[in-house]
Order: sequence, then C-alpha cells, then structure tokens
Amino acid sequence: MNKVFSVITISSALIIGGILTGCSTSVERMDVSEAKDLSGEWNDTDSRLVSEEMIRDVLSRAWLGEYTGAKHKQPAVIVGEVSNLSHEHINVNTFVGDMERELINSGKVEFVASKTERGEVREERKDQELHASDVTRKAMGQEIGADFMLKGTINTILDTEGREQVRYYQIDLTLISMADNRKVWVGQKKIKKFVTKPKFRW
Amino acid sequence: MAVVRAIALGVAASLLLSGCAAVRFTEDPVEKLLLAQQPEQALSVLEQRQVSDRNRGLQLLDKGMLLRMQGQFESSNTTLEEAKGIAEQLDAISLREQAAASSINDIMRSYSPPPFELVMLHCVKILNYLELGKLDDARVEALQLDVLLKDKMPDKEVPFARYLAGLVFEARNEYDDALISYRKSYEAYKANGFTVPLALQLDLLRLTQYLKLTDENKKLQEEFSLTEWPTQKQVKEQGELILIIFNGLVPRKHETSLNVQDPMSGKLYRIAIPFYEEREPAAHGAQLAVGTTTANTELSDQLDRHAKAALDAEMPKIIARTIARVAVKSKTVDELGKNNALVGMVANIAGFVSEQADTRAWYTLPQQILIGRMRLAPGKQDLTVTLEGTSGEHTWHDIEIAAGKKRFVSWHWPASRSLIRRASQ
Repeated sequence: MNKVFSVITISSALIIGGILTGCSTSVERMDVSEAKDLSGEWNDTDSRLVSEEMIRDVLSRAWLGEYTGAKHKQPAVIVGEVSNLSHEHINVNTFVGDMERELINSGKVEFVASKTERGEVREERKDQELHASDVTRKAMGQEIGADFMLKGTINTILDTEGREQVRYYQIDLTLISMADNRKVWVGQKKIKKFVTKPKFRW
Repeated sequence: MAVVRAIALGVAASLLLSGCAAVRFTEDPVEKLLLAQQPEQALSVLEQRQVSDRNRGLQLLDKGMLLRMQGQFESSNTTLEEAKGIAEQLDAISLREQAAASSINDIMRSYSPPPFELVMLHCVKILNYLELGKLDDARVEALQLDVLLKDKMPDKEVPFARYLAGLVFEARNEYDDALISYRKSYEAYKANGFTVPLALQLDLLRLTQYLKLTDENKKLQEEFSLTEWPTQKQVKEQGELILIIFNGLVPRKHETSLNVQDPMSGKLYRIAIPFYEEREPAAHGAQLAVGTTTANTELSDQLDRHAKAALDAEMPKIIARTIARVAVKSKTVDELGKNNALVGMVANIAGFVSEQADTRAWYTLPQQILIGRMRLAPGKQDLTVTLEGTSGEHTWHDIEIAAGKKRFVSWHWPASRSLIRRASQ
C-alpha cells in the first residue's frame, strides 16, 4: 500500500511539475544575427540576408563606376516600391529599411528620402517659412533629385504535398535611371525552404 | 446503493417514457442578438464569455466576423489571422484529445474548422483588405486561398472564393490570373449545382476576348447563350462598384440522440449525433441604386449547402467514433461493475450523460452571399441598397469611383428564420 502511495505521489508531483513548467512563459534573448526558423515563413533573417547580399551586388557593378566617372559625384538613389506578390503577409517596410541602411552605410551613394518622408519634410519646411528665423530657415526648391530608383518584387512558389511543402522565394530588384528609364542593374536572390508539418501533437 | 439504483431506474424510466429518440435544440445569445441586428451587443456578449483553449479558435472566428460587421476591418483581420494560426496548429492530430474523444465525447477535441470555413476565413480577410483599399494584402490572401482550395477541396470548391479571388486579380490588372480564377469559379458553380452568376459569365466572355482566346470565347458564348458583353475598353473607361452582402446566418447544428436501456443488464446506452436545421434568410435579394441607375444582386454562394455537405462527409467518422465510444464505455462499466456494482452503475450514468453531439461551428457566417455589380462614371457617388422582403435599407455616401478601378463595399444582414425550430414549436 505504501509503495502504491509513493508511486502515486511521485507521479502526481511530476505531472504537476510538468504542467507548471508548461504554463510559465519562457524568454530567451537572442543575437539579432542568429537565424531561427520556426514556421518556415519569411522572417527577419531572410530580410537581412537578402538586403545585404543584393545591396553588396548592386554596389559592386559597373553602373556605379561609370556614373561617378562621368558625373564626378556620387549618384543619388531612392528606394521605390517593393511589391509583395508572395503568399505571405511580408512586412516589406522592414525589408526596404534594411536595404536603405545598407545603401546609406556603404558611403558609395547619396540617399534620397522616400515619397512619404519627403511629404513630411516639405510640410515642416512650409512651417519654417512662417515660424523659423531667417538664419535657420531652409528654403524650398533645394532638394536633391534622385538619379536612380531601386524597386522590385518578392514572389513565391509553393509546392505542397500532404504535410510537406517547398517554399521558393524569388526577390527581384531593378535599378532604373531616372533620366532615361534605363535599367542599369537587375539583381535576383532566391531562397528555398523545405517545411514539414507535424502529423501529431500532444 | 439502493438510492443510486433508484436514480438510475428513474433516469431510464423517464427516457423510456419520453421515447427512445430525442432532439435537443441549442440556443445562443450571440445568435439572438445578431438576428435582432445588434452586432455590437453580440460582440460584447462574446467577449465576456469564458472559453476553453480548445474553443479559442472558434471564438476568434466569431469575433473577427462581429468586428467586421461594425466596420473594424483592421481588428477583424488581426483576430482572424490569430484564428488562422490556431487552425494551422490544429491540423496535426492530438493524441490526448483523440483519447478523450474516444472515451468521453467529440467536444473534448479542439475545434478544427472544416475546409469551407477555412476558405471563408480567407474570403472575409480579403473583403476586409478590399474595404481598407489594401489590394496587395488581399492578393496575398487570394494566393493562400488557392493553396488551401487545391489541398483541402480539390473536387468541390467554394465558387464564391474563386470568384472573389478573380475580382482581386482583375482589380490589380492581372488579367491572366483573374481569368484562371473566374474559370475555376465557373467550374465550381457547375460542380456544386449552383446557378452561374450572369456577371461572372460576362467577365469570362470579356477576358477571353481581351486575351484573344478565341476558341474558348466561342465555346463560352454557346454555353451561356450570350452574344453581347461589355468590352475591356468600355470597362476601363468606367469604374465598377461591387457590393457584397452577407445574407442571413448559416444554419445551426443541433443534436439528435437515441437513448435505450438494456432490459437484461439495466445498462443505459446513448448515441448522439449532430444534424443541421433548415433556415431561410429574411431577405430574398437586394436592389442597388446610384442616381437613376439600378441593378439587382445575384446569388453567388450558399454556405448552408457547403456546411451540410461538410457534415455529410464527416458523418461516417462521427458515427464510427460514437459507436466505438459506446463500446469503450460499456466495457469500462462491465469491468468496474465486476468489483463493485455501485461504481459500475455510477460509471454507466456518467458515460450516458457525457455522451453529447459536437454541434460547434462558425455560426456568424452568412447563409448566402449576394453580389451586386454596377459600372459607373468616375466621381463621387451615393449608393442606396434596398433588401427585398425586409425593411432593410442602407445608403453609402460619397463613394469614390475611379475609371478602370473596382470599388468594393460590403454589408451584413443576418436576419433569418429557423424553419425546423419554428415547426417544432
């Protein structure tokens, strides 16, 4: 009887312990560069790796040397629309933000504020016309016009069979000359993931 | 011992006196409030309700729909996205829940939406995004919908879902993708035995002509017996207003049960399975009016039929599980009764009472989906919609119509009547 009681007590303790562990929230800090794939969907690692690689490529191509050689100045670049044509609700803003950071930090190009940002700055400049002193006021019409626009698409192809899925991402970026619509660079990055969903759960 | 036996005999006697078969109708305050056109109060009641983890996904589905009825499209989509995540997790079979379902009842399993409800989850999200003017996000849902339909409903799709996806692609000027969706919608209407909406027929004729698919265009002309349709040029010169009405409420599942007592052993047995009631939406259609221009809505889908088809498909499994459960419970009662007759009797009553049909479903879905489409001159327009057979009327002011663009507006009219419950009363 005592033996049975002991077994029941130990089992109960283990079960309760397990339940309590399962109920508590666990937080583990990670390095932002550490890759951790949970669902197989587009994540921060994809965004960072693609932007780094694509910008490295665009800055190493001939168009940059040709432009600086001919104009004797750095080109001004703007990031245009990156369309999400994928199967996922991807936060394109973080991807565009990653690309902007890479471009600015390269020091090889000048970077122009986006359409939305420009609107806000112009509003502020208008406000300065009325309220700022002559010395500190910034005049209208002094903006730098972009020489090139970087735009692109994120596409996916999914191949699903039962609980297995191949997720294929293709990111296409194009750098277009604002002066004559020439495409001076076309970059492409592909990511392929194999995702297996569990058949059973507890 | 004598007391328990007396209770058991009393329960058995009452069952036998009341007949072997019984029907139990389920009432829900949320449904009542919706039928009274009070979605705000319905949401309030729903949010106060404490639900177990296994019904969390279902509550989110209802909440997403009720938020959308109040025009909270962003919140609705956030809620439905959470419900989608739960549904994906529940796609895997739970060993623990299966064991509970085998020994207690089917309600012990987490609510996993049937494929047509998952399809509607994407459709509602698409409509929310369209109302928000987020075409890219609506397109993402349309692509997910395509994967889901291929995977879960390969033979008999939900035609409205493909129709809606086609409209999304066309709104983005992706005509080849739009045509593919319209074709699949047409096939789904035929597969389900539904009438193909005239507007879809005209879309198919227009796009096959525009994309120079001459043979297909001729074939469709013969199938539809139509020789005229608006050309792509005419369509691009005007804007299009598309009204989607969620009409009525999808029928409710109730429980029918068979209760018997073995005259030899005195053991009680119960088998309970769900069935769908018959419903009738209060509105039989709607008329759209913009100035002197009018148009009637078309019936684009009947979710009650998808719901019943889903239950019919599931019924063999439900019956198999129910019978297996009766056997398990009976065996348990026998084993327990060997050592102690009283314990066996208590177990028998517990097993009898716990036997319940799983009548859970996404009940805030509509019974029907109506679509009204009007080609209009660019500019700000006032739209008035009048429902046929009810006092329902609503006016939208200053809807911006742009040339070559589609503008989506949606409306819910949940009022409907349960025919079977009315008949039983």
